[in-house]
Amino acid sequence: MPRLASFVLLTMLAGVGVANEMPDSRTVLGPGNALLADGAKALLAGDAEVGVRLTLAGLDLPATDRDRRAAWSNLCAGYVMLDQLDDALPWCNRAVAAGGSWRAYSNRALLHVRAGRYDAAAADIAEADELVADRPRKLREVNALLLDKTHPVRPRVSIDDRRKRTDDDGVR
Amino acid sequence: MALRALAACIGLCAALSAAAADDAVAFIDENLDRAPVNTVVPKYPETARRDRIEGEVTVCYRIDREGQPHNVRVRYSSHRVFERPARRAVRASRYAPLAEDQKPSPVKSCRTFRFYLEAVGPED
Repeated sequence: MPRLASFVLLTMLAGVGVANEMPDSRTVLGPGNALLADGAKALLAGDAEVGVRLTLAGLDLPATDRDRRAAWSNLCAGYVMLDQLDDALPWCNRAVAAGGSWRAYSNRALLHVRAGRYDAAAADIAEADELVADRPRKLREVNALLLDKTHPVRPRVSIDDRRKRTDDDGVR
Repeated sequence: MALRALAACIGLCAALSAAAADDAVAFIDENLDRAPVNTVVPKYPETARRDRIEGEVTVCYRIDREGQPHNVRVRYSSHRVFERPARRAVRASRYAPLAEDQKPSPVKSCRTFRFYLEAVGPED
């Protein structure tokens, strides 16, 4: 169950649906760090304040290295959700320094976007891209936030009726 | 529009002369005269905008007597993400109804939607 923590990332963007990635609880053999798990759940539910508090408390208890890294990344995301960017940065850096996953880079990229550090955000997105085959949805969302800041676009649709006639051939 | 119809007629006159009266209607596209009364523009899909995807969809359809598109089918699309909004837009569009002495065209009309992104100045 403590592995839950590793899936709580970018909850502010799209926390729903992450639950599908969670392992079946019946596969957990040993006791985990309940506070980290509950903190992750709270972040998933969008309660950043509770999530951060529980995760900080969970870090005072024994946890696997993997859960600890995930907790750092969750704190990064949680503080970003709370718009406490200065508090988020040390946790983001720690998660990345500890052999960061694409999620850790993605979270830090989001922090950089929110802080207006667009070059740093682009660098983190590039690092995340190196760690994962197909760019996951959450990483695409962070990238989109960056692009909206650096290369904003206005969607347009044009209609062309010049080719008015056709036979049925080729129409599916 | 009238010139186009005339040109089409001239090009087809030989075929028409050899065809039975019932067949002739197949060569005259009365859709050329169907005036759109409500053209719905599809919404740009948010995921496409987010991922900076541009594309083109050609949708073909029949227009019934009342001016409602039917049998809406995608003839070409550069990306699937644009197909649904294009089909929906066509279905929601309307043409002028036919007069009583007019016959619906047996051929399909087609409409091409181009989805593109226009650069604007950065926010900051």
